[in-house]
Amino acid sequence: MRAQLTRAGIGAVGVVVGLFGAWFLLTRQDLDQLTSAATWLVVGVVLHDGVLAGATLLLAAIALRLLPRASRAPAAVGFVVLGSVTLLAVPVLGRFGERPDNATLLDRDYPAGWLVLALLTVAAVIVASVWRSRRATRRRSLR
Amino acid sequence: MVRRARRTVKVPTEADFPSRLRSAAVTARVGMWLGICFTICFATGLISHYAQNHSQPIPFPTSPSWGYRVTQGLHIITGTASVPLLLVKLWTVYPRLFVRPPKGARRLLLTGLERGSIAVLVAGAVFLLASGLANSSQWYPWAFSFRATHYAVAWITIGALLVHIAVKLPIIRGALSSDVEDTTYDRPTATRPGVLSRRGLLRTTWVAAGVAVLATAGSTVPILRKVSVFGVRSGDGPAGIPINKSAAAAKVAPAALSGDYRFSVAYGEEERSFSRDELLAMEQRTETLPIACVEGWSASGTWSGVRVRDLLDLVGVPSGSDVLVVSLQESGPYRETILQGNFADDDRTLLALALEGEPLALDHGYPARLIAPNRPGVLQTKWVTRLEVSA
Repeated sequence: MRAQLTRAGIGAVGVVVGLFGAWFLLTRQDLDQLTSAATWLVVGVVLHDGVLAGATLLLAAIALRLLPRASRAPAAVGFVVLGSVTLLAVPVLGRFGERPDNATLLDRDYPAGWLVLALLTVAAVIVASVWRSRRATRRRSLR
Repeated sequence: MVRRARRTVKVPTEADFPSRLRSAAVTARVGMWLGICFTICFATGLISHYAQNHSQPIPFPTSPSWGYRVTQGLHIITGTASVPLLLVKLWTVYPRLFVRPPKGARRLLLTGLERGSIAVLVAGAVFLLASGLANSSQWYPWAFSFRATHYAVAWITIGALLVHIAVKLPIIRGALSSDVEDTTYDRPTATRPGVLSRRGLLRTTWVAAGVAVLATAGSTVPILRKVSVFGVRSGDGPAGIPINKSAAAAKVAPAALSGDYRFSVAYGEEERSFSRDELLAMEQRTETLPIACVEGWSASGTWSGVRVRDLLDLVGVPSGSDVLVVSLQESGPYRETILQGNFADDDRTLLALALEGEPLALDHGYPARLIAPNRPGVLQTKWVTRLEVSA
């Protein structure tokens, strides 16, 4: 009973907090701005659930066919790390906010940084794959 | 052939995702850290929003001077760490997207409400992270007001998160109090071993979040500058401090460099006016204060100039008065800002004329700029030409 009350309480607070946000969103901007915000809200979900999740499934299916058994786990780790960090680096990699009058903004060679990160990841995946493959061979020979 | 073609267009069901990694035991653990990150993001976001409000019924504190630097740095760091956490969490629950709706009006309504709240949560979470990341690199590919929308969607998302926690509380409790390999809360069809163990997936997620932070946090944590390959700013700039808005972008260069520049301080009818040389002839104070931007970068500088309180005293402004700070900028939302009374009275608040012992660079606000402790960078007004208090 107490647990049910706690849940109802948390849920009720959540509804009030969310409604405050909705009211704030709808009362501070004109219709064009609201349409833009709504578009972005919907497009985010569609891009994730439709494109990104689908692409991940496809990539995983291909990797399972192509990669030797010992490489699968290291490759999965490398994909999660490099994939998610690449995604969050899209704004700087694309330099979309660059301004000719401000050299202190986006003042790094981001593709070079990405390349270093990608090479380190690939190297780690290869090292781990070789290590796992040798360990598997040793186990088989012990048997 | 025909059968295969039909199979490829079929909408998947839950059973098409047999990996036992897509388990509530993993979801609850990643979700807990995501919830912690979102909570820190929300709290620091509220602080930042309040610090930028004109009207502050409870005065925003002036100490510690590095407070806003820390809270806004945390805001961006926890937001960035949330990207891998959110992606892995959504991956673990993806099959639930394809659960068929139940039969019966009451159950259909309840499920509809629950799934609606999750749609709001996912849309809000993706929106907040994407718009925040874009904003931190000054990329604005939208028509809405960033500040109002990011703030409103944060409230909506936290509300939906609370509803989600309320609905899932028994599962969250059960999953977190049992071993990660426990299958109590698994979908019956999710039994196939993954290429990683569940612990392996969790460790991978923590590593990804850590790499995300290391790769970006150098914009605000100086010792990480070398490794932050995706930091929006390396920390370089005139006198070692980056610039947010240049003099060219603010279109102030002719007025700022003109020999006619005058700085005035006014209290009702009482008004005094100075050239930059006359300001330099007054008692100069030196303070080490950070400049901390809403976009998450920050840097500490040693500023010298005239104490703002000394200037206000010249025209008899009573203590505690809010001060209107006017910039040479001809337009823009920050042409005029309010310096709250407690900031105006703080001894460390300067009308800065120099940075690191050099005359202020034009892009840092030459001839004179405001620098106050514990204040968002957008309110550290540059190219200041007037301080005004109505009598």
